[in-house]
Amino acid sequence: MNHYLVFLKKELVEHARTYKLLIMLVVFTIFGITNPLIAKLTPELLASFMPEGMSMTIPEPTALDSWAQFFKNTQQMGMIVLVLVFSGVLSSEISRGTLINLLTKGLSRQAVILAKYSAMLLVWSLSILLSAALTWVYTMYLFPKDHLGVGYLLFAISCMWLFGAFLLALLLSSATLVQGNYGSLLLTGLMVVLLMALNIIPSIKEYNPVSVASKTMELAAGKIDPSSVYTAVEITAVASLGLIALAVIVFRKKRL
Amino acid sequence: MSILEIKDLQMSFGGNHVLQGLNMTVPEHSVFGFVGRNGAGKTTTMKIVLGLLRPRSGIVTVCGEQVIYGATKTNRHVGFLPDVPEFYGYMRPKEYLRLCGEITGLSSGQIRAKSEELLELVGLGDVNRKISGFSRGMKQRLGIAQALLNEPRLLICDEPTSALDPIGRKQVLDILSAIRGKTTVVFSTHILSDVERICDHIAVLERGKLVLSGTLGEIQKEHRRNSFSIRFATDQDALEFSQSEELKELNINLELDERILTIVIEDNSIGGQGLIDLLSQKQIVPEKFEAMEPTLESLFTEVVR
Repeated sequence: MNHYLVFLKKELVEHARTYKLLIMLVVFTIFGITNPLIAKLTPELLASFMPEGMSMTIPEPTALDSWAQFFKNTQQMGMIVLVLVFSGVLSSEISRGTLINLLTKGLSRQAVILAKYSAMLLVWSLSILLSAALTWVYTMYLFPKDHLGVGYLLFAISCMWLFGAFLLALLLSSATLVQGNYGSLLLTGLMVVLLMALNIIPSIKEYNPVSVASKTMELAAGKIDPSSVYTAVEITAVASLGLIALAVIVFRKKRL
Repeated sequence: MSILEIKDLQMSFGGNHVLQGLNMTVPEHSVFGFVGRNGAGKTTTMKIVLGLLRPRSGIVTVCGEQVIYGATKTNRHVGFLPDVPEFYGYMRPKEYLRLCGEITGLSSGQIRAKSEELLELVGLGDVNRKISGFSRGMKQRLGIAQALLNEPRLLICDEPTSALDPIGRKQVLDILSAIRGKTTVVFSTHILSDVERICDHIAVLERGKLVLSGTLGEIQKEHRRNSFSIRFATDQDALEFSQSEELKELNINLELDERILTIVIEDNSIGGQGLIDLLSQKQIVPEKFEAMEPTLESLFTEVVR
């Protein structure tokens, strides 16, 4: 059997048995259910905390608020959980030495990287799909009158997914570059912070992968045209592939 | 035919020259003990043989094929057992062997048959719990099973017994002993009694070179010194013999400890016969007369000093 498929199977079994899959699904299910609820309840919560006699006009929540919660949660907590859950996927195998045994049996190093990336992507896709589907259903239920442009929404969700895929590629390539379990986490974190800092410069914004995630809300609301992020989307996709290629090249030469 | 040949292997980490022109040949169907102090370069040598490290210079061939760093083609002939084998704790032994079998390209039926046979051999036939609950000895035995899965012609074990208790050690040695004939076994160790127990060939690595190699018998023969040990029945006999004039004329080293006299004769032309003649001349019957064989331990300490 093909090494890629053999190792992909092993990775998926690992994600399932070491609770990585479970954690991701539970966290994103919670997001999916709470996004519309928080949007619906926020005005009521605020009202109940208001001092007596004071009144404030809070606009009636809409489906858009529910999706705002989705994009905010996924972009912040969601990405953090994603990176933390998968932070040790390659580095712990290198430091513990579980890979050496299989590599001496002729397992191709390229297959290791590609299978690991595919398995992580699969879990990530499943999680964000689940969360989006739940948000969708509950939003329809709680805000039956509101209608959003489905095309815009799907594009925004795809952008969010792409940013997650980019983070995973960054994480995997970091693990081939630095030693230890926390080294890769640190390098990934530094890179994200760097990209965010670069986002302050307006001329770079258009090309920055961070824009792909940060613009999702405006995209979903139809405030900006999808074409405005095309460049960033293309760059993010190419960068992800580039990072995986880099990981393969570095890992092939890496001394274990 | 030799199954593993190492020619003029050089390796250094930073400024530390670990291997300095190592030459070694492992004949087929031998159990080859690779002995050396901690840090002598045993593990480094093994990793080079497996293509996991790039040597500075030198040629390694396995079954006549040259080993190339990073490529694992020659590893189809080789089974490897690392010193502390690490497995995926969430798998069961059979699942792990299946994964290994699939990587080496065995068919599903072959994997099933071979796994059962090997797990039986290493005494894990009826163990079906997850590897995370395994003891070190069990992991070591599973390590042997996975190393033998593709029926390698050469099995390389890196200190397979050092971390084990006496029972675990015996089990591992028995398994290694049982597979001789089918597979050539190279194992590194610093436990000399293990070597004496199962090895027919040994090589001692010191300062990046082999300082001793050959079959156990050859080595002992080569390093046999002209030395004897005589145990006397009484103190009187011992004293009388050791202080005899005839003995003093010879170029010898004497050491009397209670009633045991150790004699090292520097002059090779005089053998034990002279001593026996002298005993008979003095009318002394010793309790024991022994031509001393060098022990592996004494040889080892001698060559690595």
